[in-house]
Amino acid sequence: MRGFRRERGAFVAELDAQEREVVASVVADVAELLGAARFEDGPPPPTGHPDPLGLRMDEEWVAPPEDAAVRRLLPDASREDPAVAAEFRRLTEADLRRTKIGRLAAVWQQLTADDGGVLVVRPEDAQALAATLTDLRLVLAERLGIVDEEAADALYEELEGDVADDDAAGQARQYLASVYAALSWLQESLLAVMLDDLRRRG
Amino acid sequence: MVAQLAPEETVAAEEHAGLDDAWVTIVWNDPVNLMSYVSYVFQSYFGYPRAKAEKLMRQVHEEGRAVVSTGNRETMEVDVQAMHGFGLWATMQRGGQ
Repeated sequence: MRGFRRERGAFVAELDAQEREVVASVVADVAELLGAARFEDGPPPPTGHPDPLGLRMDEEWVAPPEDAAVRRLLPDASREDPAVAAEFRRLTEADLRRTKIGRLAAVWQQLTADDGGVLVVRPEDAQALAATLTDLRLVLAERLGIVDEEAADALYEELEGDVADDDAAGQARQYLASVYAALSWLQESLLAVMLDDLRRRG
Repeated sequence: MVAQLAPEETVAAEEHAGLDDAWVTIVWNDPVNLMSYVSYVFQSYFGYPRAKAEKLMRQVHEEGRAVVSTGNRETMEVDVQAMHGFGLWATMQRGGQ
């Protein structure tokens, strides 16, 4: 994996075939958690704006997600007033799910396209990619139990440690941790070029 | 008595509604979001200058939360939805609480 650099007006990173496959699989997992069909199973959904007129759907009452990772992607909008949280969820949740799934579908398409391991992102699309990388990391972090900054730091020490070959759970955890660390690094490199771009446009 | 009280109640209700319409959007700290990303979001979405965005980002990081915008309830719903779109943990509440 090579982090993002600015090249001829675009933001460019490199991921080899295996890295692409791993990230695409996490992308499909997160989309499925949000209610999308598996991206591998059929033609990808359209990636355009899901609601071209900008109209809010008049949804019925929507229960908060039970899965903690999904709830982190679609959090309560109030900590102390359930009525405010419920009203917000009714107004926005379906729209937020569509937005996030649409962005995930676009990233999945790019990762599974055969273009020589180079990930080319137009500056105007970088924000959507950065937000999607955040969503992937939020889900992985929830599965890894990263509840505070100490746990986040401990993860990097864990990556250095040895896991026994017959420790399937430990192996799985170390795998998720390595994906989390790689996506964090990739997002940090993307943010460096995005912030630089923001300053240039000043 | 009822007829006399009614207008006063109406005035009180209107004043109450005015105060109720002052809301804030709060962004909470989490161990996942990158400081560079939070700063980027505050600059690009709210249009805050870099110094203000970084100050708010540090406040979130060090104090656990920061008020990032103020306005009426509908405006704050838009801001909170945008923050959730970015993956930041945001809530809204009446101002002064």
